[in-house]
Amino acid sequence: MKTETPMLQIQDLHVSVEGRPILKGLNLEVQAGQVHAIMGPNGAGKSTLAAVLAGKEGYEITAGDILLEGQSLLELSPEERSHAGIFLAFQYPVEIPGVSMVQFLRAALNAHRAAKGLDPLDTADLMALLKEKAQLLKLDPSFLTRSVNEGFSGGERKRAEIFQMAVLDPSLVVLDETDSGLDIDALKVVSDAVNALRTPERAFIVITHYYRILQHIRPDVVHILADGRIVRSGGPELAVALEEKGYEPLLATS
Amino acid sequence: MQMVTLNPPLSLEVGAQHLTQLLRSQATGEGLPGEVRSAWLTAAQTADLQQLFTEQRYREDWKYTPVEFFRQAWALDTPRAPQRSADIAERFILPEEVRGSATLLPAVASLPQPTSPWEAFLGAARYAQHYSMKEGAFLLAPSHGEGVLPLLITISVAAGGSVELLLTPQSKGLLVLRVHLHLAPGAQVRLYLPTDTQVSGTYLYMLLSAHVEREARFESFDLTAYAAWKRTEQKVRLSGPGAEAHLYGAARVQPNTLWDQAIRIEHAAPHTHSNQLFKSLVHARARSTFQGRIYVHREAQKTNAYQSHKALLWDATAAAYSRPQLEIFADDVRCTHGVTTGFLQGDMLLYLQARGVPEAQAREMLAGAFLAEVLDRVPHTGIQEHLRHRLGLPE
Ligand SMILES: Nc1ncnc2c1ncn2[C@@H]1O[C@H](COP(=O)(O)OP(=O)(O)OP(=O)(O)O)[C@@H](O)[C@H]1O
Ligand SMILES: [Mg+2]
Repeated sequence: MKTETPMLQIQDLHVSVEGRPILKGLNLEVQAGQVHAIMGPNGAGKSTLAAVLAGKEGYEITAGDILLEGQSLLELSPEERSHAGIFLAFQYPVEIPGVSMVQFLRAALNAHRAAKGLDPLDTADLMALLKEKAQLLKLDPSFLTRSVNEGFSGGERKRAEIFQMAVLDPSLVVLDETDSGLDIDALKVVSDAVNALRTPERAFIVITHYYRILQHIRPDVVHILADGRIVRSGGPELAVALEEKGYEPLLATS
Repeated sequence: MQMVTLNPPLSLEVGAQHLTQLLRSQATGEGLPGEVRSAWLTAAQTADLQQLFTEQRYREDWKYTPVEFFRQAWALDTPRAPQRSADIAERFILPEEVRGSATLLPAVASLPQPTSPWEAFLGAARYAQHYSMKEGAFLLAPSHGEGVLPLLITISVAAGGSVELLLTPQSKGLLVLRVHLHLAPGAQVRLYLPTDTQVSGTYLYMLLSAHVEREARFESFDLTAYAAWKRTEQKVRLSGPGAEAHLYGAARVQPNTLWDQAIRIEHAAPHTHSNQLFKSLVHARARSTFQGRIYVHREAQKTNAYQSHKALLWDATAAAYSRPQLEIFADDVRCTHGVTTGFLQGDMLLYLQARGVPEAQAREMLAGAFLAEVLDRVPHTGIQEHLRHRLGLPE
């Protein structure tokens, strides 16, 4: 462990949904520059963790805390968390008919800029930025004028999430099963884009069921989340073991 | 009328009685052909607004509509003659009123028999304006100072004609407007009904009817940015083969206001087509009501009739009522209707917010997207832009 304050500290987090405990004492520390993978069975609480990080309503934090750069996030609205540098790539990105990608990202980017005391981007600069990042994800520029996620295939939606990440330049990225629904080529495109954005200042949490994406995005740490807790942590070899043996033997020995 | 302050306010019944007297005294049947005039006058002299509260058939039509203006009726004074004023539309000109020979116009001849006390009063209203037109874009902006104005407007559109109409009432008090259009064969009419009056204590009650002959096409766009209390009735009769009606509505129902739409489309001939698309965004403590009746006569085979009303509720204090009614007596008919009412979707809001868009702005974006489906279809770019702006949508 390094001595400086970790970028993200999750301390003994307990979360209930409609009175039912889902996260039951989860601890996690992520340093700037690291990539952490979180794997775990269906229903373990992975997306719940992501939702709680993003500030989604309806989750009751019954104990514990989440600190970003040493500051508690819990009182912040979702937009304030975004301005603070958190980006969640959703497992199931919603369609927003009638709101174009350009309109949406103009509002998002300018809100980020306003939070930093910067003036809004002018249209030419905005379009140049969006086109550059679209190219990085090999997205046809026409998708910028389409409604957000409307009629996108599963793979296109996931690519569009990473595209937005590239545009917003966050410091902590949570990818919730961004790899599922991607074909081999798209997985490569997405992974390359993530790798291109790996910097010493940025951290990633990659939630996945498959070792496949971790071959492209090499994690520093792999965690197994089961029944609302991190039950094991290790290096990339843990993901290999999971791929070969499944969860059962690993959970049994934990 | 003397203005009197009563405390507590009048009951609905007493208010209705007051309005009945006022409207009866304004019913002179001027401009109606002699033989029809006496029938209309008789109808007006026996009509009584209290029937709205006592008779089942009217109560159904007014079921979801708070008739608050009856309580204010004591404050509604006798009318002044309508004036006209121009505002949003440069390209629109004032039409030339037809006098003298007005009784020969098709729109006067096809004025439907009254089916409610309101229609009886208005059919015989002293303030009647008759227009005959074929080509062009025309502005109708009835206005009066304060009080209650009962006004009848008839518009006859010649065969093969093509007309755009902009109807923007400017009023304070109660404006009851009866507009009847006659579309001769092959005529095309596009009627814009933008409402943007901020004045509280303004009640706008429009009764529109259109008689659409063969191959004629009627389009209406009811666009409400603000109205304290607004009820629109639209009755369209598709009377010849190939006749079409397209009714669109977009409303931002501001806090504490009412938006009320009552539609009846009558397919009276084969191969007729109708389409209704209405969207209302309902703010806190506001109410949206939509009643849409489609009536298909036995002989109206090969009819297409579509209807959709969507209401989006801003919060839990907003209310929306939707009632589609289909009465179909022909067997070879394609008819669909859909009604949805829902809240702004939490997952969409979260998505926008999670990317940094502040909540208030995210809500506006979703509201704009919701109404855009209708606004995008407004062909007149000037009106479209004006309404986008007034509705607070992105350009
Ligand atoms: N909004 C909600 N309402 C009710 N139950 C919920 C809600 N969100 C999550 N849960 C429940 O919490 C548990 C954890 O769900 P979560 O989506 O976090 O699992 P996951 O680890 O992401 O699973 P998967 O691998 O299938 O994506 C499940 O039992 C789920 O049904
Ligand atoms: Mg999940």
